[in-house]
Amino acid sequence: MSLIEVKNLSFTYGIGTPFEKKAVDDLSLSINEGEIIGLIGHTGSGKSTFVQTLNGLIKPTEGQVLLEGKDIWEKPKEIRKVRFKVGMVFQYPEYQLFDETVYKDISFGPANKGLSGDDLDKTVRRAARFVSLNDRLLDKSPFDLSGGEKRRAAIAGVIAMDPDVLVLDEPTAGLDPKGRDLLLSQIIGYHRERKNTIILVSHSMEDVARVADRIMVMNRGKLEMLDTPRAVFSRVEELERMGLRVPQITRVMTILREKGYDFSDGILTVGQAFDEVLSLLKKEGKL
Amino acid sequence: MSFISAENVSFSYSEANKNVLDDFSLKIEKGEFVALLGHNGCGKSTVAKLLNAMLLPNDGVVYVEGMNTADEELTYDIRSNIGLVLQNPDNQLVASIIEEDVAFGPENLGIEPEEIRKRVDESLKAVGMYEYRTHAPHKLSGGQKQRVAIAGILAMRPSCIVFDEPTAMLDPSGREEVMSAIQSLKEQGITIVLITHYMNEAVLADRVIVMDGGKVLIEGTPREVFSEVPLLKRHSLDVPQATELAYRLIGAGVRFTKMPLNAEECVEFLEGVLK
Repeated sequence: MSLIEVKNLSFTYGIGTPFEKKAVDDLSLSINEGEIIGLIGHTGSGKSTFVQTLNGLIKPTEGQVLLEGKDIWEKPKEIRKVRFKVGMVFQYPEYQLFDETVYKDISFGPANKGLSGDDLDKTVRRAARFVSLNDRLLDKSPFDLSGGEKRRAAIAGVIAMDPDVLVLDEPTAGLDPKGRDLLLSQIIGYHRERKNTIILVSHSMEDVARVADRIMVMNRGKLEMLDTPRAVFSRVEELERMGLRVPQITRVMTILREKGYDFSDGILTVGQAFDEVLSLLKKEGKL
Repeated sequence: MSFISAENVSFSYSEANKNVLDDFSLKIEKGEFVALLGHNGCGKSTVAKLLNAMLLPNDGVVYVEGMNTADEELTYDIRSNIGLVLQNPDNQLVASIIEEDVAFGPENLGIEPEEIRKRVDESLKAVGMYEYRTHAPHKLSGGQKQRVAIAGILAMRPSCIVFDEPTAMLDPSGREEVMSAIQSLKEQGITIVLITHYMNEAVLADRVIVMDGGKVLIEGTPREVFSEVPLLKRHSLDVPQATELAYRLIGAGVRFTKMPLNAEECVEFLEGVLK
């Protein structure tokens, strides 16, 4: 069943001013329950505006967002409920940490949602565990953590709200390669256990290739593609025209394929490429 | 003496904390393009700040063109010699018109108006943003903003620019724009220090220095450094995907030719192997 249904959604900034700009343009799509969607697009393609319409931070100027079949703006006074269901992790979320301890910071959301006592404690610890923050860190000030730990603490604060849909805007920006890998595997682990829907906005083609079930590509406010990573990343030229790139390994294998070597289309990881090259070498008796 | 030389530098942000840099030494020659790699918290950004006297070493000395950064009389000269470009373009632009933003630095240096005009135009041309000179910065893309920030530094005519993760917030084409601007500055003889987490950018440098625990772990040409795949992975780093594929194939018995660093070299490598 589709969890989110977006129908002919448009959003225009600054209507009636000289700065009027259509950021999202007639976008329709449906997202299934339990999917991981990777969202890519050039700066200014409308990605952030689009994701902010999903939990009602931005009200569409035209069209609808349906969550579990219901228009989220049907009762504008109840938009808060939608925000509990659709959690949003903004860029550089560590700048939003504010409380005295990591524990208090993570519990801020669920406490506002009405949790207390044991339930609250369990929720906070569970969220911290998902992002591998150990108990020792929970009593520290969030400002004493390392950059990677701060990022994970901030993400735990949103996970603690137990949202059905988790939107992450560039969660790995500025992290070193190991921190990036760690955070991505924690997100995947959380997703496997919680089986919720995840939308990952990223400039890293390697990251979305690795985690997404489907990738949506936005360009100038429009939805250009929504397909499996393999299908999306086999459209190299179109992506490049939109200011995007394919992962380096995909590029290597595409060039060789065009030169007539027998490799699959849309290879996304070094592992896949390694397997294909090795089996070709074996088949031709070169190894 | 080298253009920049850090000798046995130790540094910590407070007495209670352990040293961020520990007996760290570094030499950079004039006109060199050096990439500085290392995991978060390894001390890379601290090095950047030590180079232009924003921070001073607790032990050891940092020299810039023979000037000791600890000498307060020289701070001004050092800072006008070493420009710093940071991660977030939005934090670095101050004016509401691009050419005014670029003029901000030289104005503060007290330069004559005609000379400022000349420098602003030259700097904007150098990063390919001249045609936008009368636009407002908030309407630019991330890559464009970052190039304007670079022009603002260029207008002060530094002999060296330190870039601290200049592409971390940019989309793929923005990253390419900034990297090609950096490469053209290098061609004009400006010394470049690039701090990055993107291995594909580090391969463009003349020399790569990998830091770990406040010390230099390994340094050399990109090809030398990125051939050390297991060492880099142990220290939270990565290699370009092209290099990793070749490394794994070599492990499986494929004959070694030349370690590829980018997509084109990898295609060449694989064609050689499959021939």
